[in-house]
Amino acid sequence: MRLRTILTLVGLVLVAIVLQTTMFSRLEFFTPDLVLLLAILIPLTKIRPELALLIAFTAGLTVDLLGSAVLGLRGIVFTIVAYLGIRTRDRADIGRIVTALWAGGLTLTGVILLILVGTLFGQSVLLGEGVVDRVIFVPIANFILAFILAPMFVRLIDRDSTAFRYV
Amino acid sequence: MLSRQPGDRTLPTLITLLVIGLLLMTYDIRSDGGGVTGTLRTGAQTIVAPLQKGAAFVVNPAIDAVDSLSNLAILREQNRALQQEVAELQAELIASVDDLARLELYEQIYELEATTTAVGRTVANVIGQPDAFDVALIIDKGSSHGIAVGQPVIDSSGFVVGSVQQVSALTATIVPITVGPSGVAVAVGEQVGFALPQVTTDEMRLELEAQEPVFAGDRAVTSSRSVNFPAGLPVGEVMADAAPTNDVLITTMAPYVQTDTLRVVVVLAWPPDPVTAATDAETTTTTTTTTIPGDGSTSTTAPEDG
Repeated sequence: MRLRTILTLVGLVLVAIVLQTTMFSRLEFFTPDLVLLLAILIPLTKIRPELALLIAFTAGLTVDLLGSAVLGLRGIVFTIVAYLGIRTRDRADIGRIVTALWAGGLTLTGVILLILVGTLFGQSVLLGEGVVDRVIFVPIANFILAFILAPMFVRLIDRDSTAFRYV
Repeated sequence: MLSRQPGDRTLPTLITLLVIGLLLMTYDIRSDGGGVTGTLRTGAQTIVAPLQKGAAFVVNPAIDAVDSLSNLAILREQNRALQQEVAELQAELIASVDDLARLELYEQIYELEATTTAVGRTVANVIGQPDAFDVALIIDKGSSHGIAVGQPVIDSSGFVVGSVQQVSALTATIVPITVGPSGVAVAVGEQVGFALPQVTTDEMRLELEAQEPVFAGDRAVTSSRSVNFPAGLPVGEVMADAAPTNDVLITTMAPYVQTDTLRVVVVLAWPPDPVTAATDAETTTTTTTTTIPGDGSTSTTAPEDG
């Protein structure tokens, strides 16, 4: 993988984290999990699967470092979601809606895992008011963002303008 | 259906990363957020803080504008109510100034000296939250502004918000009382106990050592038993009438603060002397000693809760 691709990915993860912790934390009607979405979309690119897992783990760990929950929780969850993404990505590039549904489904898996593992490790900070609403709204928001951004993201990382044209 | 090509190293990588993650979680829980993981958190926050502040500076006015447009009718009504409140408060302020002048005169006459310690206050803006599920608040002030781990946080009206969990040079993370791990020692009238967080709701479970019933609307304030908060800060109000059984009373309490709408918080530099506070929990009660010349009597009074 080229240095430029690595720098692009690091930049995107950083932008996702900053937007997630500032802009999207203040919106009540649209609550995506941008970093999780990034971990889901990376398997769609030509990046090696092992590296995709490592990036997902690092991105999750970075969010953990900035949050109040136990360190490693999101690292684990994002890695599992990225692994599921790698194993099912062949079925995701049929069409734009299918890609978005696939990303929304993986997001739902991710948020349920986050709550389950968080509960097992006593992370009450993740179980505040409205947690049930967020289990529904976060996958929907990620579905919408994936519908808009997934093809663009893959073309940017792979430097392939023909990728995800769904022809 | 999952597909897997033979010979790929994805599964071993996944297992390795999961083991590393579990080890990190175990270490972080056992070290209680300190040690290496604490240093890592501080480092990460120091790197990202300037970016977060920059983004908040650009994004917040835009979001406020959208919010204002969508709530225009409510804002007009709020504005009218606030103008009326300002007028009332100005009248109260004038009366208070007269009272203060009279108090100063009496203090001079009787040579009174208050032994209360002023608690330092740092006003900070809420710049965000870690993600959609983590309800902790990130503020734009950190250790370079005098903020330290464990300090209590209130809102601009003086209601309890939570306490500082992590600090970097430029930012700090606040954990609200509604999700904090240990709850808050509170008092309802003369009866003391704990307000404990509950899962999936902001309402808190109130457990009091009580001889008398409490009623809906009764005010809960931080108790002098609290080691994390100064006594007398308003926390919330009792939601339902309840009577004690075997000297224990259990009911629910609604906190005054809604953390999702908070924009400004105040961090209290409390305890003023951490060493003394750590060795003597009694110092959590602020007292005023007054010696009246003439009869030589001395009286010690605790401030009223709230």
